[in-house]
Amino acid sequence: MTASTPGGLYGSATGAGSLPSSSPEPGSPGLERTIARLLTGGTYVSIALLTIGLGLLLAAGVGPLSGGPAFDPASLVGDILALRPAGFIWLGVLVVVATPAARVAASLIGFARAGERPMVVIAGLILVVIVVSVALATGLEG
Amino acid sequence: MIDGLLLLGGGVLAGLFGSLLGLGGGILIVPLLTLGFGLTLIQAVGVSLICVIVTSGAAAGVYLERRVANLRLGMTLELFTAIGALGGGLIAFLIEERVLELLFAALLAWVAYTMFPRANPASARVLAPDADPEVPDAGASLSTGGTGTFIDGLSGPGYQIRRLRLGAAGSVGAGVASALLGIGGGLIKVPVMHVVMGVPLRVATATSNLMIGITASASAIIYLLRGEIDPYVAAPTAIGVFLGASVGSRVAHRIDLRILRGLFVAILLYTAWQMLQRAIA
Repeated sequence: MTASTPGGLYGSATGAGSLPSSSPEPGSPGLERTIARLLTGGTYVSIALLTIGLGLLLAAGVGPLSGGPAFDPASLVGDILALRPAGFIWLGVLVVVATPAARVAASLIGFARAGERPMVVIAGLILVVIVVSVALATGLEG
Repeated sequence: MIDGLLLLGGGVLAGLFGSLLGLGGGILIVPLLTLGFGLTLIQAVGVSLICVIVTSGAAAGVYLERRVANLRLGMTLELFTAIGALGGGLIAFLIEERVLELLFAALLAWVAYTMFPRANPASARVLAPDADPEVPDAGASLSTGGTGTFIDGLSGPGYQIRRLRLGAAGSVGAGVASALLGIGGGLIKVPVMHVVMGVPLRVATATSNLMIGITASASAIIYLLRGEIDPYVAAPTAIGVFLGASVGSRVAHRIDLRILRGLFVAILLYTAWQMLQRAIA
């Protein structure tokens, strides 16, 4: 079986929702490409940060199973400037967690430009869920 | 140093299989960290969630470039996985692990049964969706104008999305499972899309990869802010997952579908057995 090419994927300046899905749309694949690059870029940046942090960790002779410091946003910049492994690793973890949300935000913009209101609403609701998650977790922590 | 390399190697294997099968790798990472490195289940889940997001980012980018992943379908369903993950992340620290392990062992065994590579009628319908036009479209009322245009927009050439409501319900369950067990939820999402919604397996796997990121993020935020993610364990494991997922996403299209399904079933059954053993230990 060869890989399918779903017609529902293709962007359309006139709104893909009104076009039949049985045949591929002629619209630009720009949105998918942009999102793909965003995902890839975010992943590479996070992996680079994690790799630097792991390198510093091993260079300092600290074992990965020794127990790392808890996440503290206030010390993040200071840790990075001081070349402490935890700073780079935590920043990498933050990029990991934020990249999917950034993908949804980019999708929202792309769908808004294409006039696909249902997908704009869906993307907006996903971001609302993420914001609620942060708010509730912050409340639990407090 | 040795521990770091072992974590790295374990992550490579988990990322490779996760990318190939749309599992996210979490189903392998949690046993690796708990049984192999002595982490608590909660700690392992926190690290695993970070790893499955990395898996998703590495693989989904490739799948989107190749237009295998269905972006609109993925985003529609991930709204429900995110809601489930949010709820699961909030109750993860309140539920007895033994009960969950038993439930999910049964669930994994059931999913393995549904995906077992054989000439079953459900698979035949999916491979030839037009041959079953009488299947009721439970999601038709969700369409933008009552004419099915929204459903059509989620469908692709050669397949028509059906039973969107069931797919949404299954996605909520996938989100809960993701938050509680540190998996990407592909174990549930792929069969739901493939068997229930009529999405070809390869498209379902790629779309599941796309959805895993936001699903895991919704609960990873909770684990992160509750201090349940160990950065020193997360770094080597996530790097390994990234390497494995990068390789897997580039060779997935060359792998025979029957082998893919066979591997899927084998991993499901193995994980179910592990879950059962933990529960009755």
